[in-house]
Amino acid sequence: MAKSLGIFVSDPNCLQHVIGVTKAAKAKGSKVKIFFTWTATHNSKDKAFPELCALADDVSICVDSYKKQGYDISDVPQGLTEKKMATQAQHGIIIEDYDCYLSF
Amino acid sequence: MKILNIYKSQPDETVKKLVEIVSRDRDSESFDLTVDNPDYDALVDKIFAADQTICWW
Amino acid sequence: MEYKKALFMYRNKDYAVDGIRSALGLAVENMYSYGVVMDCEIEKLDEHNMESIEMLRDMEGEVYTTVPANQEKNGFELLTLEEVGEKLREMDIIIPYGLK
Repeated sequence: MAKSLGIFVSDPNCLQHVIGVTKAAKAKGSKVKIFFTWTATHNSKDKAFPELCALADDVSICVDSYKKQGYDISDVPQGLTEKKMATQAQHGIIIEDYDCYLSF
Repeated sequence: MKILNIYKSQPDETVKKLVEIVSRDRDSESFDLTVDNPDYDALVDKIFAADQTICWW
Repeated sequence: MEYKKALFMYRNKDYAVDGIRSALGLAVENMYSYGVVMDCEIEKLDEHNMESIEMLRDMEGEVYTTVPANQEKNGFELLTLEEVGEKLREMDIIIPYGLK
């Protein structure tokens, strides 16, 4: 069985890599969880973001970062639910519960 | 211990020094993300095979 | 149970303070969590951010720097680049944070 993969994203300019890795990992039968923080929360407004949410098993963003980047927290990005507007605890889950760790 | 070093840009002197220390006496591999069309399939294989992955700036 | 060790590296002043918050986030999840500010000089931190660092220290974490001015202004422990490298060897998780 394929290993699971957790991805932590703090670089706002890596969405294409996140999508590329997620597609490749899913094609191998892997479970993928992604968490975006700080300026990388801008990625949630990218037109490719909803597709990434559909592809990965779990996508969440740091709601505090999203707010500090100037967004209204009631404006939930397409592909996410209110519950996925989360905290840094998601990063802890990625480290503890997933076989492999990748940061961008 | 097998380490995978991924580069999002050409490594500068700081990164080269840190990679040299982290990889000392360990099995290490690298993957270059600066190319036009990275082979993500190969990258995921390398991530799964590594004990630790570091994606440098 | 063995707790994991994570180290965040910050090379851009616009990412350091929030990155320290991410380090604190892992400390509260029962990990040994560290940050190191490299290459850049950051402003003197306000009381709120200093409290975050104190919380991190209370959980056996630390914020280091390779830049003497950050030690003087914010009390970060000074390390050489070689010492940062040696610390990295002890870590389970290594995070080159944000932008360079």
